[in-house]
Parts: sequence; C-alpha cells; structure tokens
Amino acid sequence: MKYLRPLILHTLSLLILSLLPLGARLQAQENIEIKIATKDLKMNVNETKTISAFVVDSDGNKVEGRKIMYYSSDGKAFEIDSLGVLKSHRPGIHNLIIISPDPDGKFLRKDVPIKIKFPPLAKVAIKDVPDKVYAGSTIPLDISIFDELEMEREDLSAVVSSSDRKIAVIDKFYNLTALKPGKVAITASIEGISGKVNVNISENPVRKINLTVDRDEARTGDVLRFKATAVDKNGKVVKDALIMYTFEGQAYDVSSSASGLIRQDGRFVADEAGLYTITASAGGYATRKAVEIEKRNVKRKIELVGKGIVGDKHTSDFWIWEGIDGKDYGVTGTWGADGTAYFWDVTNPANITKIDSVQVDARTVNDVKVSEDGKICVISREGASNRKNGIVILDVTNPRDVQIISTFTENLTGGVHNLFIYKDHVYALSAGQKYYVINIKDPGNPAIVGKFELDTPHHAIHDVWVDDGIAYSSNWSDGIQLVDVGNGIAGGSPENPVQFASYAYPSGANHATFPFKSKSADKFYVIGGDEIFPYGLNVNGPNVAGGFLHFIDFTDLKNPDEIARFEVPGAGSHNYWVDGETLYVAFYNGGVRVVDISGELMGDLYKQGREIAFILPSDPDGYIPNSPFTWGAQLHKGHIFYSDWNSGLWSAKLEPETPSDTKLESR
Amino acid sequence: MKKIPVIFIYLILYTYSAVSQDYYVYTTAESEDEVALIKFDGKKAEAIKRIPVGVWPAEIEGPHGITVSPDGKFWYLTMAHGNPYGTLYKFSTETNEVVGQTTLGLFPATMQISKATGFLYCVNFNLHGDMVPSTVSVVDPETMTEIKQITTGAMPHGSRISPDGLKHYSVAMMSGELFEIDAISLQVSRVLNLDDAIKSMAKDHANMDHSKMDHSQMDHSKMEHENDKMKGHKMVHSNIKPTWVIPHPDGKKVYVAGNGSNEILEVDLGKWMVTKRFPGDKGPYNVEVTPDGNKMIVTYKSAGSTGVWDLNTGKEVARIKNNRRVSHGIAISPDSRYAFVSIEGIGGEPGSVDVLDLEALKIIDTAEIGKQAGGIYFWKIEHDN
Repeated sequence: MKYLRPLILHTLSLLILSLLPLGARLQAQENIEIKIATKDLKMNVNETKTISAFVVDSDGNKVEGRKIMYYSSDGKAFEIDSLGVLKSHRPGIHNLIIISPDPDGKFLRKDVPIKIKFPPLAKVAIKDVPDKVYAGSTIPLDISIFDELEMEREDLSAVVSSSDRKIAVIDKFYNLTALKPGKVAITASIEGISGKVNVNISENPVRKINLTVDRDEARTGDVLRFKATAVDKNGKVVKDALIMYTFEGQAYDVSSSASGLIRQDGRFVADEAGLYTITASAGGYATRKAVEIEKRNVKRKIELVGKGIVGDKHTSDFWIWEGIDGKDYGVTGTWGADGTAYFWDVTNPANITKIDSVQVDARTVNDVKVSEDGKICVISREGASNRKNGIVILDVTNPRDVQIISTFTENLTGGVHNLFIYKDHVYALSAGQKYYVINIKDPGNPAIVGKFELDTPHHAIHDVWVDDGIAYSSNWSDGIQLVDVGNGIAGGSPENPVQFASYAYPSGANHATFPFKSKSADKFYVIGGDEIFPYGLNVNGPNVAGGFLHFIDFTDLKNPDEIARFEVPGAGSHNYWVDGETLYVAFYNGGVRVVDISGELMGDLYKQGREIAFILPSDPDGYIPNSPFTWGAQLHKGHIFYSDWNSGLWSAKLEPETPSDTKLESR
Repeated sequence: MKKIPVIFIYLILYTYSAVSQDYYVYTTAESEDEVALIKFDGKKAEAIKRIPVGVWPAEIEGPHGITVSPDGKFWYLTMAHGNPYGTLYKFSTETNEVVGQTTLGLFPATMQISKATGFLYCVNFNLHGDMVPSTVSVVDPETMTEIKQITTGAMPHGSRISPDGLKHYSVAMMSGELFEIDAISLQVSRVLNLDDAIKSMAKDHANMDHSKMDHSQMDHSKMEHENDKMKGHKMVHSNIKPTWVIPHPDGKKVYVAGNGSNEILEVDLGKWMVTKRFPGDKGPYNVEVTPDGNKMIVTYKSAGSTGVWDLNTGKEVARIKNNRRVSHGIAISPDSRYAFVSIEGIGGEPGSVDVLDLEALKIIDTAEIGKQAGGIYFWKIEHDN
C-alpha cells in the first residue's frame, strides 16, 4: 500500500486539475506585464537617467505589491541600480533586463534595448605622411577617425580626396600615387569632420637603379639578399627613394608555381627550383636581376629502429635520458587513463623494453621530465580523484625500481598540464593560468619560490620550456613569453621571474615554444607551435590535426619578426626538438618530420623542400591500431625517439648525410 | 452505494497497472569531458546518451556542475577549466546540442536557477592556486550573459536556491563560511562562520537571538577580500570544510555537509545559527533533501557510501555502500522515491550512477558512464501507458 499512496495522490491531483476551468488555472498571471514609464531610452555616453517601470494588468492599471528590479546585461556598457538609476558607459545597443520576481515561479520579465549613442566625431587624422614624395611613387596613408572621447572609430571609413587629381590620386585602400610634381591637399572626411594634409610632390631625381645580390645561384629555402640603390642623373645615391621589390619566376617543374617570398628589405626566398627575376623599382624606373634556384636536395632515408607498444591506453609526453649507470632510459606518460607512467630501457633502441611503472591518482599524466643529472623525474597529474592534482617527484636513480619521493599539490590543485625541470627547480603550470617555480633541491620537501602570470584579460598558458636561464612559455592568444629566470638578461631569477620579450600571432593557438640559436645565420629564432583540432578529437579512433610552426626572429628582442613557417598539409603540429640545425617535430597524424633549419629562415619551409625525412608510427597492436598520432620527438645519441598517442614509444634512425660534393640529382 | 469504492479501487488498480514511469537524470563525467543522460525505468538504469563536451580535445576541461531549467527545455553545464576562466554552456534537452555559452570565473562548479527571477547562480570554486575569496556568478540564461559576480569566500561550493527562489546559499570550503545571497538584489545578505557557529553552539549560546542581527543591510559585496591588504595574510582553513548546502523544502533551515568534520550541520535560517549536528561517515560531500521534506541523503565521499537520514527522527536509517569509490552528487526524483548518486571512481575506473530506492533503502541498479562522475541533476519523469 505504501507504493500506492503517492500514486493515489498523483491520480487524484490529476483529476482535480482536469476539473478546474482553464481560466482559473491560468489566473490573472497571464494578463499582467511590466510596463516602462520612461519614454526616451536613447542616451549619450556618461549620461545618467532614471528608468521607471511597474506591473500593469490587462486594463493598464498598475498592480500594487509587485517588486521591480533592474539588471544590466553588460556592466561595462551601463550600470543600473535597484532604483533604476542608469549610468551609460559604452556606445551601442545593450540589453536592460527588468524582472518582477515571484516566489511562485511566475516572475515577469521585460527586455529593453538601451541605445547609447556614439559620441560625435571629433577628428580625422592622416598620419605618417613623408615630408617628400617623389613623382611616380605610391605610398600608403594611415587614416584614423576619433570621437569626442578620443576613442578611435575603427568601424567607420572616411572619404578621401585629392585637391588636384592631376598631381596625385588616392584609391579606396588609401594608397596615394604621386603623378607629377606639385602641391596637393589630401582630405579625409566623414560626417562633417575632416582631416587634411598637404603633400609636396617633387620631381623624381631617380634615373637609374642598381641592383646587386649576394649570390646568383642558390637552393630552395636559401635566403638571397638583394640590394637596390637608386641614383640620380649624376650617379649620386638618392637615399630617400622609395624602392619596391617584386619577383616573377618560372619553375623547372612546369606544373609547379614558381612561388616564393620577397620582403621590402630585399630578402628573397624561392620555394621551387627554377629561374626567378627580381625587380627593384622606384618612381617609374626599374632594374631586374635573374637568379637560378636549384632544388634543396636534403632528403635522407629514415629507418624504423624499435618500438615499445602501449596497447591498453593513450600515451602522452616522454623523455629520454642517460641514467647514472650510463645506460639510456625513457619515461612515457599516459592520457585519459589510470594515472600510469611507464619506464623503459632504451639503451638498445632496437629493443625498447618496459622495465617499471608508477601509478598515481590521476587520469592523465600529461607531462614527464627528468633532471639534468638523471636522478629525478617529475610527472604531472590531471583528473586526480581528490582534485588536488599537482606533481609527483620520483627517484629514478634505478629506473627499474622507481620510487615516489613526494607529491606536491600546493597551488597546483587545478591540474598540471605541463612542466619543466631546470637546475633543481620545477616550472609547473597551474590549471592553465600561470606557472609556479618550485625548488626541488630537497625533493622530499619541494617549496614554491616564485611564479609567473600575465595580467592580460583571460590570460592562459599551455607550456613552459627553460633553456639557458630563460623560460619560454606558450600562452595561447598572448603568444610566446620570454622570461628571465636566471639568465641575467633582465635581472630575473627563479624567485623573481622577469618577462623581457614576447610575441603573439593572430591565430592565438600558441601551444609550444622552443628556442633555436642559429649559428649559420647568426640569428636567435624562437619556434612557436600551434595545436589545433579542426575536426575535433575522437579518443577511440583516427584523427586529423591542424596548425603549424611559426618561426619568429627574436634577434632584436624589442622587434620580434615572424619570418617563416613549417606546415605539413593535412596534419597538425605538436611537440618538437631542435638539435644542431635540425628540427624534429611531431605532427600528430603526420608522424615525425625531420627538417633542415640551417641558414637564414624565411617563408614556407615545407614548400622549400627543407623536410629531410618523415616517419609514421603505426602498429596493429596500438591502443588505436594502425593510426599515427605522434605526440613529441627527441634526439638522443643519434636516434630519434618519439611518443605516439595511439601506440607508445618508438625509435628511428636517420641515414647519414650525403657528402656535399655528391651530386644527388640534376635537372 | 457499494459500487462506488469498488469502482474507485478499480480505477486505482487500472491506473497503477497502466502507468509506468521512466526517470531521467543528467550526469557529468569530469575526467571524460562527457555528459551522460541516464534513464531509469524503476528496475534498470542505463546511460542512453553520452554527449561529448568541451572545445580543447587534448585536455581535460572538467564538466563539473549541471542543472536543468525549470521548464525542462535546457540543461546547463559548467566546464571547470578554461583559459583560465571556465565556461557555462546551455544545451537543448531536445537535441543535446549547445545553444549558448558564456565565460564565468575560475573553476565554475555547481549552480541552480531561481524560479523567482529566472537567473542562474553559479559558484566559481577556484581551485587554481592561492586560496583567495572567490565569487558567485549570476547569469541571465535567456541571453547567456553574466550579470554580476558576487564575492564570497575561498572555494565556494554547493550553490543552491531556497524553495521560494529568493535566496541563494553556498558554502566556502576553505574559509568555512555559509553565505546567503539575496537573489533579487544580488548582494550577500548574511554570512555565518561555521567553525565559530559550532563553538558558539558548544558554549550553549542558543538563547541569543541572531535573527535580530540585520545582516541584510550590510553590503558584503563591497568587502574587498582580494585587495592588496589581504595578500600577505595566510588564509585560515576551516576544520569543517563545508562542501555543500541544501535548503529544506520548508524554507526554514539548510543542511551543510561538513566534509572535514564528518558531519552534517543543520542551520536554522531564522536564528541564523547551527541548531543540530548529524555525525556521519567519512567525508560528507553532497546533501539533498527529498521534496517531501522527510529524508536527507548524504554522500560520504571518502567512505564511498551514501547515508539516508530520517529528518523527523534525526536518525540515519541506512548507510549504503556504493558500488565504487568516491561518492559524489545526488539527484532525487520529484516523487521522493529514488536518489541517483554519482560515483566518481578512481584512476581508470569508469564513473557510475547508483540508483537508491529510498523506501527499500538499497541500490536497485547502477549505470556506468565516463570517468569521474560528478554533477548530477534530475530532468524529468515520463509516464508510459
């Protein structure tokens, strides 16, 4: 009977409800609404207005006893208090929410658009116009529109005109072309506001352009430096002549485009073998120079050497090191599983042997690193059952009997995705927000000594790598951050990390960073890597990733210059390693790619044929069989080791480089 | 005349035989980045849908809190990890597709929608480093915009609304405080330091009328807990470590899970003081009260069990061992008949949902879902004829 009781009540209540007239059930609730008394809801910025609203019945009579509350849907656009006093801040149309609460769930709501007018326009500025413009030149103009609050209106475009179209014309992209000598006024106007600049156009003194190049023959990917000098009729150099570089070419492979990249400082690089002509022009004068580009010919064979298959779970990051016994070992993490890290003997790369494992309270051991002396391993934790996560410090002096020394969770409870060990300190990410510097000199008693965190809105971090006292962090849309943690360049230390340079690229997908000091080019590059999954990630099947490596020239720390990329069609970048002037990069479904990054870098390195070799890890006994998804790569004692998300730890060997005087092929 | 009761009994029996009920709950799998829809037909529970959630496929984003709109048309999910702020997603219950989203604070966790305002109130648990006071986000679920963040205590959790929808309650796990927020003015109206409250209870201060302290006039949101003056101070960690608060359906009291003190505290809302202590098993984590107000269900996270308390007698009538370790959340059917308890599991174990019969006081069935089952919320009962 006890089970019947609620059923009886339920049935009776249904019967009673069905007998009630519909109108009675709907009550007067259906016929009341919120009405706004305030007529004009348009406002100026920084204006105050009192909004008045009340509840009315179907006859328009005010219903007493109903509370009214006002809420701003965007507190930065406008504020409103409980009395309806509204202060406007930001132009645009914003939503005011008016609620009449009701404890029976019959609250009333009215959404009211509040239009905050843009302040009147105040200024049109035409900036950076050169003092002297030579006839025949084309220069871009920088035109900005500002309102009375000195806010730039990037959503508006000015109408630009020339006072004398015989002297100078201007197109819709604000490019000014000087036609002949004379004075001309350029006016940019909008809504009755205008800016004006007078341009003096002079006779073009240039009569000839001399064009030289540092070499006539080069390979694809080699950066040639062209130098153009404009001279007048007396042979005198015209220093302020605006010289433009362009190129055309014909590839030896007739079905290929003779693509390449030329910069306005005269640097040129070709993607395809062929004949290229570089043109330098200034004010109607031009000079051309042809160069022959050969194939780069850096391809080498790569051979699979060994594998240690992990067939019951996904594999994450790895590290290879020489143990204190002189043998070589590896550690791999696991992803979305049971918190295991595996230890391997890789002394014979053809016989990778699992020798121990450690299981911690986690679902993902995303990162694993080993100290420089080969004694300490630190692994990261995510998905701990107690949500404390943090890091686990291991004694790996005997990798066949790995021991947990300590677990450290202070300030790391939100999860550690990546970490690095450098000179007795662990640099550990905290929940994708910042990294802490943890002293592990006494690994049984780790202690936080410093931290680094950006102060930008919605800042985030994905990875940190430390080299030569500089921490390179990957901060998604905030890009690459260079932080002195002991180098001395900016007076930083582990206790006092000091940021001294940064670079962000538009995609905002900065996921990994690796420094590369090029001896052959005498340049300091920092390689920033994307991580993008354009088609999502199927944890139970094959995947295709996207994204590429960005090469940023940090030689001038104050003016970093993104100069090159390495992108593999149909695959996406992940972790990578540089040894000498060779890059070893995991490209997820594209396996491991070995890339020649010698010499100056510019343009599309993949198209230039700089890829030396690639290898795809694939095994029928993998967790996802026969499905490469390579996580990272590392060169160790001449062997390339790489971990694969779907199959475990692998090793490969690149065939020796062919002597440079051996002609591999000719056209 | 004798025919009337016969007809009535026939009607009841017919209805009983003809109507069967299916119960539906949504549950998160925090380390699987997945939400499962569980169907329970009175005997068997199964995950009839497993919905992948999140945008960063290679990382655990941690779906933690879940709630369903009062009209049942939408479910809302907090993703704990972000860049770095977490995200609130709005899904259609019809399609289980995302229809809206907004960014909240650090590690947004549990939430509920007020029937009095229609707003959603979500605690920002903030597990990300220093134990500083965090916030409660107030979101307009219609437009999916965050209207306000209200500063409360360190690691706020257990976001629950009073039966009349006019008050929001949360507890700050590390600072050991119970916060009451006026759901309309969006101001903190009262704060109860639970550690102090227990000490006061021990000293038998029960005669004090705390209700006379008009905290509602105090504007706690203006307390700049995060200003520089606080930074040098070491946060005092609560011994109680409250992790959950649930108002009783009568609106007169709330129950707080004392995760650190292994007890459940009853707080009288009129007196604004702790009036009862219920000693429980190890690690009480979530607490719910049956809609009829008679039973209190408690998950004992550390013990891996669930307690059923008779609130009329104050006795724990059953302590049921869950089928897996780490008992987490509770959803109770509107008919007060069943409790659906999410069980996290450890490491590579799957998560699961135990269905408890609150009359028979036993687990009827278990549905397996993704790793680290956490947030759980009742969606609907469907009657099949």
